[in-house]
Amino acid sequence: MAPAASVSRLLGAGVCAGPLRPRLLQSATPGRARPSGRTLASAATPAVREPEGSIDLNDRILNEPLKHSDFFNVKELFSVRSLFDARVHLGHKAGCRHRFMEPYIFGSRLDQDIIDLEQTAAHLWLALNFTAHVAYRKGIILFVGRNRQFSHLIETTARDCGEYAHTRYFKGGLLTNAPLLLGPKVRLPDLIIFLHTLNNVFEPHVAVRDAAKMQIPTVGIVDTNCNPCLITYPVPGNDDSPPSVHLFCRLFQTIINRAKQKRRHMEALYRLQGQEGPGARGGGPAHPPSLGAYPGDRSSPLPEESGSHACP
Amino acid sequence: MAGSRLQTVGSVFSRTRDLLRAGVLKEKPLWFDIYNAFPPLREPVFRRTRLRYGKAKAAIQDILYPEDRIRAKFYLAYGSGQKAFDLFNPNFKSTCQQFVEKYIELQKLGETDEEKLFVETGKALLAEGVILRRVGEARTQKAGSHVSWESEPSDVKSQTVLENNKPLPEALQGQHMEPSEEQSKGLSPP
Repeated sequence: MAPAASVSRLLGAGVCAGPLRPRLLQSATPGRARPSGRTLASAATPAVREPEGSIDLNDRILNEPLKHSDFFNVKELFSVRSLFDARVHLGHKAGCRHRFMEPYIFGSRLDQDIIDLEQTAAHLWLALNFTAHVAYRKGIILFVGRNRQFSHLIETTARDCGEYAHTRYFKGGLLTNAPLLLGPKVRLPDLIIFLHTLNNVFEPHVAVRDAAKMQIPTVGIVDTNCNPCLITYPVPGNDDSPPSVHLFCRLFQTIINRAKQKRRHMEALYRLQGQEGPGARGGGPAHPPSLGAYPGDRSSPLPEESGSHACP
Repeated sequence: MAGSRLQTVGSVFSRTRDLLRAGVLKEKPLWFDIYNAFPPLREPVFRRTRLRYGKAKAAIQDILYPEDRIRAKFYLAYGSGQKAFDLFNPNFKSTCQQFVEKYIELQKLGETDEEKLFVETGKALLAEGVILRRVGEARTQKAGSHVSWESEPSDVKSQTVLENNKPLPEALQGQHMEPSEEQSKGLSPP
């Protein structure tokens, strides 16, 4: 973490916005002016140094999944039947119903709301797909849920996929006043997943509003008494029954692990391709035609690269 | 560090997109391209919760089945079934469910009279060995006070409800007076 922290402190010389990234050169838009080639050169610590040739490589790795409609094969993870068996369709009583959940409710059986699982399936696909893409791009994911019954489960789920969880009392300015509470230049989560949108007094969790404030997209399981408005990818479903919450945790864990694995595969694949046929690839603009200039060869920095990097 | 904390104005995406376009936000956030490629079904815009006034009601229909009528009659006659519900078993059939299935079988065979069907089903179940204990006479006399929950709620638009919505409670009450007088099963009135 230390080299990343130092790099980000340097970046703080006025350039960045929003979620900071320790890897400087990993910008999603190739055309945009890359801000800190020169600021980095003045530092003595080359935290992450990548040769120029890998920028378009990174772009290809990042943009490749977006071209497929279901790159991570999300639809095979669940079905309407499996949602039904996990009791995802059971909502609260009609008196607890939130007005904005009405479009997602199929009907009410003896006063208990039944959630429309066809809609749930569609929403869940979108939510899982989004999570997978964020995990693929090495985003930070935060699991939030305030139901004490599943607190431990959520924490173990987060630990098993290598992400983060916060199932305790959510302090006031945790997202909005992060530099003060968490330390200077802390990277905020890129995605927040709510297993329970309400807190223990049945009010919307503060993190929903705060994530909207900090431009952090959210995925959330909204029950019939929740407000789905501010959640980017709501998933109407039961958040009170154990089978239901277990199912959702399992789904998120599987998809995040799958996405990370896919990322490793893609990087290995592109690295291999780079090593085998550098000339065959239509490279980026500023490529010196030397064979060693590809990411497979990080250990030997090449001085004939474009001179914006300091020699370590 | 640029950002817009106005969560009530647009969605997260619209605010970020506009900040990027204005040049205030320099670096595109990680999730931006993903959102562009796979947008949600509804844009997550803030909406104020407003109460419903007057006679406006939610457009949510009740879920009712034709078997519910049979179930209602069963519970009126026999009270809650003697066999406890075993929820661990996904294929569990309660006494009421067996009753309903037998009733529908007999109905398919051609019987039309409801009372007769009811009695026949009771007999068939007894023959199979399922014990049915009738609720005592004092309970059936109190059935008059249960009329309110018998009648379906007024905003039923469900297609699963049969067309002939004959007044149910009267038929039931008339029906229950006779069988209970025929065979007193010995349940002492509460």
